[in-house]
Amino acid sequence: MRSAKLESMIPAIDVRNLKKSYLPINRRAGGKTIALKGIDLTIKSGEFYGLLGPNGAGKTTTIGIITGLVRLDEGSVSVMGKDIISDYRFTRSKIGVSPQELTVDWFFTIERLLYFQAGYYGIRKEEVSDRIEQLLKKFGLYKKRNSKIRELSGGMKRRFQIVKALVHDPEILILDEPTAGIDVELRHMLWDYLRQLHKEGKTILLTTHYIDEAELLCERVGIINEGTIVVEGKPSELIQSLGKGSIEVYLSDCDPEKEALISGFSYVLEPYDGGSRLVFSVDEPEKSLSEIIKALSSNGCHIHEVKITKSSLEDVFISLTGRAIND
Amino acid sequence: MNTQKPESLKKLPVAEGGINWIGFRTLTLREIYRFLSVYRQTVIPGLVTSALYIIIFGLTLQRRISAIDGVSYTIYILPGLIMMNVITNAYNNTSSSILQMKLLQQMQDLLITPMSSMEISFSFIIGGAVRGVINGLLVLLLGILIIDMPVVHPIQTLLFLILVSWGFSGAGLILGIFAESWDNIATMVNFFITPLIFLGGVFYSIDMLPAFWRNLSMINPIYYVINGLRYSILDIGGSTVHLSFAVAVLMTILFTVIGVVLFQKGTRIKQ
Repeated sequence: MRSAKLESMIPAIDVRNLKKSYLPINRRAGGKTIALKGIDLTIKSGEFYGLLGPNGAGKTTTIGIITGLVRLDEGSVSVMGKDIISDYRFTRSKIGVSPQELTVDWFFTIERLLYFQAGYYGIRKEEVSDRIEQLLKKFGLYKKRNSKIRELSGGMKRRFQIVKALVHDPEILILDEPTAGIDVELRHMLWDYLRQLHKEGKTILLTTHYIDEAELLCERVGIINEGTIVVEGKPSELIQSLGKGSIEVYLSDCDPEKEALISGFSYVLEPYDGGSRLVFSVDEPEKSLSEIIKALSSNGCHIHEVKITKSSLEDVFISLTGRAIND
Repeated sequence: MNTQKPESLKKLPVAEGGINWIGFRTLTLREIYRFLSVYRQTVIPGLVTSALYIIIFGLTLQRRISAIDGVSYTIYILPGLIMMNVITNAYNNTSSSILQMKLLQQMQDLLITPMSSMEISFSFIIGGAVRGVINGLLVLLLGILIIDMPVVHPIQTLLFLILVSWGFSGAGLILGIFAESWDNIATMVNFFITPLIFLGGVFYSIDMLPAFWRNLSMINPIYYVINGLRYSILDIGGSTVHLSFAVAVLMTILFTVIGVVLFQKGTRIKQ
């Protein structure tokens, strides 16, 4: 029991001072491109973590290093307590990856490709056949098992990519932009799958362009920009500490200029269609709302309409990086 | 959505270290199935071309060219044709498979698995070597069936086929690693491999050449492997068989080591 507890305390992924720069394609042009300037990242076992950042921020490089695709220049990465270089067989067998780019294969059916994939992880056909069948069924690909990748629709390709990442039953699932370029319906379907996998105990590392996706799914997010993690935390905490919300109230029959009515809040007052419009700037709109309404109505104000604008992770992102994520 | 949790797997033995034999076997078989699934492009053409050579030379030139080293012209060129098939197939298989994997993003999928660079490179080499051997054996069979070619030293013949297939599959690995487009591969084949094969004495004995060209041919390694096979099949040119064998072994070791080291370093594969 104790050892199980200890094990769960070992982070799933632990990145320390990770640095990476790329040589230019044309070496004579000179000048390295610095991709990562020293990243620290700890993802707990069983956690759903989102790495957010604009293109070129270093998301894919970070994932590439964790999975062994890209060589690190400096720093260290361990997966479930073991080093990714000296213990690469261990660390890689614990990770399943769904890369950003969809893989193509001209020769084999998707079922066969899954058996190959399992084989690369040292799993014999007979040990994995039940699991492959179940995964294909679960992701709605069973009827297509004898098709080749090019015969699948875009959404099916994406699902196949995830099934492939799961074939060896990894503890950690890394998804690089899993919902890039797919329609809304499939996005929601994938979200459901991911939630379920998380419930089953998988650690999930997700990179995304879609902030709402991270806000909705991830327990913690890190915002990465120009090779460093600018901020990290629970989405709600980030919004609370870095974002701002507002409450708009449309009033008549009262004089809101009486300061006493609504003291303690900063607001802007504007005349509006026979009444007034008040815009309060607050940290947590839900908490402040009742106080504001109480103060206003106890003074006989007639409230026509209330609008709440909550700050989103997107605002946090823009305030930290100075640009929108899709710029 | 089906919410049933798929059956979990037991602990993966590969995580404990040691050689990933199952992975190695899987990738090797994948490489073999890959070319077999397109046998019309990978097995049949060599056979057809060789049959054409045999028919054309058999029907036309043989009447005008006297026997070389005591065997008829068509039989004389057959070991050369076999070697030509072995070399081009072994080499093409590995180089195109690697390039294809790079272009289709499959290489990345492979590099993140718990397979070592050594296991991956040997799987590719063996895949190409099997294609080379199959092609060589089929042309050999064609020779036995249609022109009644004798096979004097069968075991040596087989050994030689395997050795040369392996060696040139290793060369294919090196090229596949460096290649960034199909053009790169075609250039190497058209301007390097094919001339070396033709100048290696597939269609003639280098004794027929003037001294200068004969001496030049002696530095062409392919000349030795063709000679070696010619001896193994027809028992002619026995005086240089040890040298031929040594050249084939050296070439095989050299290409294999360079290929594996480049793959391990991740040249043009890992960033």
